[in-house]
Amino acid sequence: MHAYQGIAFRIAYLVVGNAAEAEDAAQDGFVKAFRALHRFRSGEPLRPWLLKIVANEARNRRRAGTRRDALTLRASAESSSGEAAPSPEAALLEREQRRALVAAVDGLPEPQRLVIACRYFLELSEDETAEVLGIRRGTVKSRTARALDRLRETYG
Amino acid sequence: MAELERDLREVGRLLASPPEPDLVPAVRARLGEAAPRRFGFGRRRVLVLALAVLVVALGAAFAVPSARTAILHFFHIGGETIERVDTLPNAPRRSPVIGLAGPMSVEDATKRAGFNPFLPPKHGGIYAADSVLATYIRPRVVLTEARAELGMMKKVASPQTRLEPVRVNDHDGLWIAGAPHVVYYFDSQGRGQARNLRVAGNTLVWAYGSVTLRIEGPLTQAQALSIASSIR
Repeated sequence: MHAYQGIAFRIAYLVVGNAAEAEDAAQDGFVKAFRALHRFRSGEPLRPWLLKIVANEARNRRRAGTRRDALTLRASAESSSGEAAPSPEAALLEREQRRALVAAVDGLPEPQRLVIACRYFLELSEDETAEVLGIRRGTVKSRTARALDRLRETYG
Repeated sequence: MAELERDLREVGRLLASPPEPDLVPAVRARLGEAAPRRFGFGRRRVLVLALAVLVVALGAAFAVPSARTAILHFFHIGGETIERVDTLPNAPRRSPVIGLAGPMSVEDATKRAGFNPFLPPKHGGIYAADSVLATYIRPRVVLTEARAELGMMKKVASPQTRLEPVRVNDHDGLWIAGAPHVVYYFDSQGRGQARNLRVAGNTLVWAYGSVTLRIEGPLTQAQALSIASSIR
């Protein structure tokens, strides 16, 4: 549980966009997972199975009408991550580009936003993303491709 | 394409996110494993001990060569950790009271273990060590109790071992049966893990507060639950 609680909370937060709801969803997910332990098939990886239960809890809460906070960058991310110190203009541009990308992801329809969050923000594999979101691997691929196309249109 | 994907990963690492809460105490409490209070430890001390035990648990898991392959399963009941692994480590079949002193009286065992045991009306002499004790409650049926925050039992179960959540006297528990699993007890310093490694039979595990209880022996689930109902 210690090993998975961080990612479980982050996935719940990305779905509900609210810290208190995310904590409740992750907690409910762990309790449900424990009680459903007998349904866990031996030999399958535990992480996606557990995260799927947490994501479902979070989605149910989202449907219940919680307001989702917009995705934002950390304050420390306002400075550049580049190796060489960029010029003030380049730093400003980088900052603006990141903000634009975050806003573009935030504006995606929920199914596409979640697939992008799983694949790139949580860096889950295609198989894990499919399991967590309860969709087929082919759907993960096509939904990711559509989301990337859409981001390219809005983000440039 | 590659550039956008790289940017997304970078932005993902820079996203603002609320501090990650520690879910373990709340989940434990909801599973009937209330945080230990009866020994008057401060929250900080319990946390430090819990972390020490966790580190030892992980270290021990990787110290057993054949258990090193893919740890697939990691769950806790009280001080007991149950992991499912591909291959069980080699372990002998030996007495569940191995490594404990005794038999002795309940009073002596309580002093030695450092906590008050939960006992059924009928039981044999008590075997004890620091933070753990055990007693035969029927021929070949042993009740073992450990104080969760100090001692720890660890099991590794093979893919053939059945792990079934059950309710034990209104507390969450686990019935472990169907195929042998390996159990070992060790304290918060990790002492005794190799010495106490052994193959175990059918086992019912649950916790009352900070004390983890296990009944092990040639029993059906119904028989184990029936015995457990007399231990409160």
